[in-house]
Amino acid sequence: MLTFIGLGLYDTQSITCEGRAALREADRAFAEFYTSELLGASVEELEAAHEVDIEVRDRAGVEQDPEPILAAAETEDVAFLTAGDTMISTTHADLRIRAETRGIETRVLHGVTAETAASGLTGLQNYRFGKAVTLPFPFVHGAGDVPPSVIESIEANQTRGLHTLVYLDIKVDSHPRRGAPDDHETYMTADHAAELLASEWDGDQLGVVVARAGSPEPVVAADRLSTLADREFGDPLHLLVVPGELHHVEADALQALADAPVGLVETED
Amino acid sequence: MGRRKQIVQECERLMDKPENIRNIAIAAHVDHGKTTLSDNLLAGAGMISNETAGQQLAMDTKEDEQERGITIDAANVSMTHEYEDTNHLINLIDTPGHVDFGGDVTRAMRAVDGALVVVDAVEGAMPQTETVLRQALREGVKPALFINKVDRLINELQEGPEEMQKRLLDVISDVNDLIRGMTEEKDYDWTVSVEDGTVGFGSALYKWGVSMPSMQRTGIDFGDIMELERSGEEGRDELQERTPLSDVVLDMVAEHFPNPVDAQPRRIPTVWRGDDESEVAESMRLVDEDGEVVFMSTDISMDPHAGEIATGRLFSGTIEKGQELYVSGTAGKNRIQSVGIFMGGEREEVEKVPAGNIAAVTGLKDAIAGSTVSSIEMTPFESIEHISEPVITKSVEAKTMDDLPKLIKTLQQVAKEDPTIRVEINEDTGEHLISGQGELHLEVITHRIRDNQGIDVHTGEPIVVFREQPQEKSREVEGVSPNNHNKFYITAEPLSQDIVDAIKLGEASMDMPELERREALQEAGMDKDDSQNVEHMFKTNILLDETKGIQHLNETMELVIEGLEDALEDGPLAAEPVQGALFRLHDAKLHEDTIHRGPAQVIPATRDAIHRSLIDAEVRLLEPIQDVRIDVPSEYMGNASGEIQGRRGRVDDMYQEGDLMVIEGIAPVEEMIGFSSDIRSATEGRASWNTENAGFRVLVDNLQTEQIMEIRERKGMKLELPPSVDYI
Ligand SMILES: Nc1nc2c(ncn2[C@@H]2O[C@H](COP(=O)(O)OP(=O)(O)O)[C@@H](O)[C@H]2O)c(=O)[nH]1
Ligand SMILES: [Mg+2]
Repeated sequence: MLTFIGLGLYDTQSITCEGRAALREADRAFAEFYTSELLGASVEELEAAHEVDIEVRDRAGVEQDPEPILAAAETEDVAFLTAGDTMISTTHADLRIRAETRGIETRVLHGVTAETAASGLTGLQNYRFGKAVTLPFPFVHGAGDVPPSVIESIEANQTRGLHTLVYLDIKVDSHPRRGAPDDHETYMTADHAAELLASEWDGDQLGVVVARAGSPEPVVAADRLSTLADREFGDPLHLLVVPGELHHVEADALQALADAPVGLVETED
Repeated sequence: MGRRKQIVQECERLMDKPENIRNIAIAAHVDHGKTTLSDNLLAGAGMISNETAGQQLAMDTKEDEQERGITIDAANVSMTHEYEDTNHLINLIDTPGHVDFGGDVTRAMRAVDGALVVVDAVEGAMPQTETVLRQALREGVKPALFINKVDRLINELQEGPEEMQKRLLDVISDVNDLIRGMTEEKDYDWTVSVEDGTVGFGSALYKWGVSMPSMQRTGIDFGDIMELERSGEEGRDELQERTPLSDVVLDMVAEHFPNPVDAQPRRIPTVWRGDDESEVAESMRLVDEDGEVVFMSTDISMDPHAGEIATGRLFSGTIEKGQELYVSGTAGKNRIQSVGIFMGGEREEVEKVPAGNIAAVTGLKDAIAGSTVSSIEMTPFESIEHISEPVITKSVEAKTMDDLPKLIKTLQQVAKEDPTIRVEINEDTGEHLISGQGELHLEVITHRIRDNQGIDVHTGEPIVVFREQPQEKSREVEGVSPNNHNKFYITAEPLSQDIVDAIKLGEASMDMPELERREALQEAGMDKDDSQNVEHMFKTNILLDETKGIQHLNETMELVIEGLEDALEDGPLAAEPVQGALFRLHDAKLHEDTIHRGPAQVIPATRDAIHRSLIDAEVRLLEPIQDVRIDVPSEYMGNASGEIQGRRGRVDDMYQEGDLMVIEGIAPVEEMIGFSSDIRSATEGRASWNTENAGFRVLVDNLQTEQIMEIRERKGMKLELPPSVDYI
């Protein structure tokens, strides 16, 4: 049995009760933290809180060599953990398909994910989000500072009046590109992201920053991208939302919850 | 004021007058007398005393050169010469003749406008004569001929006037055949002739020389020469007195070699691909000392006091201390710390050096031999061609830990000074690799590390460098990214030799405008559609993008290229470089989001696809081969040809030349290791021989597996052949 368990957004408390119960009962627990991380809990803290040993696997250990996980799941109860939800954005569907093809029973225990926070904390309606994108660090790809596909997606959403959730890159990969700086940041900050978008696209565009979603003290801030670029939002993880057209309730929410300057958040009517 | 100081001042005065400058190289087959001739010129210009010229070898400045008596690095020197009442500034570069140091010759040619080709009257034009001529003509450098060692015809061979005349005319006609063959497509005639005064004769050892104009001036003809040369020391002294070699040669240089103003308009388009309408192009053509600074470094050397010295040609502007200049291929600028010229192997600092000269500057810490250095950002010069790639590698290891940092620094320096050397530093194992043009090349480098730097090193056995190349067209293979979300569909096939040659000669490269590249590739035989699909070229390999309208592919292409380059650096058989392969990208499937098609996904997927396509294309190991020529008395002919045949070699030709037999053939570099001592003992030291790298050839089938395993073992790879591919 292979159980995919989402650890939620922030620390040992972010998992669901059902997830916690399944994790405690598992014979073995594997985890990957290369797609995202819990910033409020180390692996040791997770192990202590849930009284399990967690075997952390790197990208190659999941994507290229999943054999140990699958072999274990053939005979034992195995938990596979990720931050957030195991199937949203992180695309572990491939592992689940492989398991099913081998006749291993699987199950998914959902976790709270960035998507929840993006509408939950900002007041932007989840019905009104379009396709999400990831903004990568400029040195990991060869397509200028902002890949054209990122801007195309945001603009395509906007033409339909939709918001865009912009995930920000995390560099935990052990596959550095030639010419990548040695000392680059590990987590892209929202101000860095706002700066990239402001300089490559549109500085006057409204943006909404969500920092440390799921923690006891999340920060939510709405302003022009060029203004957001000059602010600091503290510890990771950060997200950025680029709103489309605003419903009046959404505009009110951005003023009340995200200190959006009046006049910047005009509603569609 | 000392004589030397006076010369420096005179040089400085002349530097501003491009019409009076000649930048020249002396090039020849090894031992034909370049260095002896250069010393003569220096002595003639008063730079070294006349008595020591010929023994002093001022141009062979490094200790190991004087010991070995061969020139290893190109050395530089400036001198002045009065011709027809005008004083001339002559900047001279002496180039190495040994094939192992070919890279230096090519680089030297970039800096000069004229090449004095020296040929031994007894030996005639030899293989390296051809090589250096080709290097000169390809760079648009005008040749003139000096036939040296004429004293030997008179005294050793006791030739009469007719024999001698015939021999000299044969040399001239051989050289002209070479020149004609190499300038077929040019609209100028650069063949040399006695009547024009572009041919000189003489003896560098005994310091006399003649040419048609000199004979007319001095009234000394060949009859007088034979008489005086035969009448012992006194006669020679008289010859040297009445028709000194340096005057004859330097007059020839002043009269027949182009000055920078004549040369640069012709040379700039052959060595620079930038916009010829731009201002900087104009100031290079005009040799404008008030234009932007454009300098090409042709040599980097280390001076214990001044540090790193970059020597090269200043095509435009005036270079002086304190300037902040761009160095091609690096970010930021370097500040010029001092500017100088070379005077007999020593550098003399001067205020500034204007366009048209050869300058030696310090402060360019990022420059390597071949860098373009300029006051504005500009298209760099064509990379200086390396006619031969490294074929042999040796490991170097410091004996004591304390020397480690110094060794690494020295190796990095070596690579900077000589781009035909490749250095691989491995800080984990401490076993560094240097690759070069031949056994001797590497020997000289290790000698320098040991004796000049005082680093005690272990060196491994020399190892031959191999290549991998597909032999057929592969089926379409699929490369899948680790996360399974991205797929690439690729085929591999061999590139035609004509296209490979065109790439090697720099006729087609990614640096040139697309249209020009397309034309060059079509000219070399590439299909029109293919030439339009060229996405990337890496060494002698090409990637074609045959996909149509795949979303996100353009922003992923750089990663595809990185995966391709990784895969080609380490081929699938034995992690040796891949050459002469054409890849077609037929289709790709990509994930929607950038993160899921990042480097960790796309690089391994492409790498995998490239390797698998190569395996399906029957990739084979290629080994480097050399042309071998042996000159030997006929009684040793059997032994000598046996030395070629016993080395998996092939004898192509044997013929008589004078009283010697000449054997020509080819043999693998690997088998040629240790040849020099074997041929010596096989012929009791009576053979003289010459080798020249001649590219790579498919290793015979029955040695493939064994050789692959041997390399894999040495590299610590798995001892099994890569599995064949699952096709789609
Ligand atoms: N007889 C004779 N020997 C010469 C002459 N020029 C050079 N040599 C000798 O040929 C050998 C090679 O000369 P060198 O200048 O080192 O040749 P390089 O390899 O071309 O630089 C030396 O032993 C010289 O003394 C010449 O004109 N006549
Ligand atoms: Mg020499």
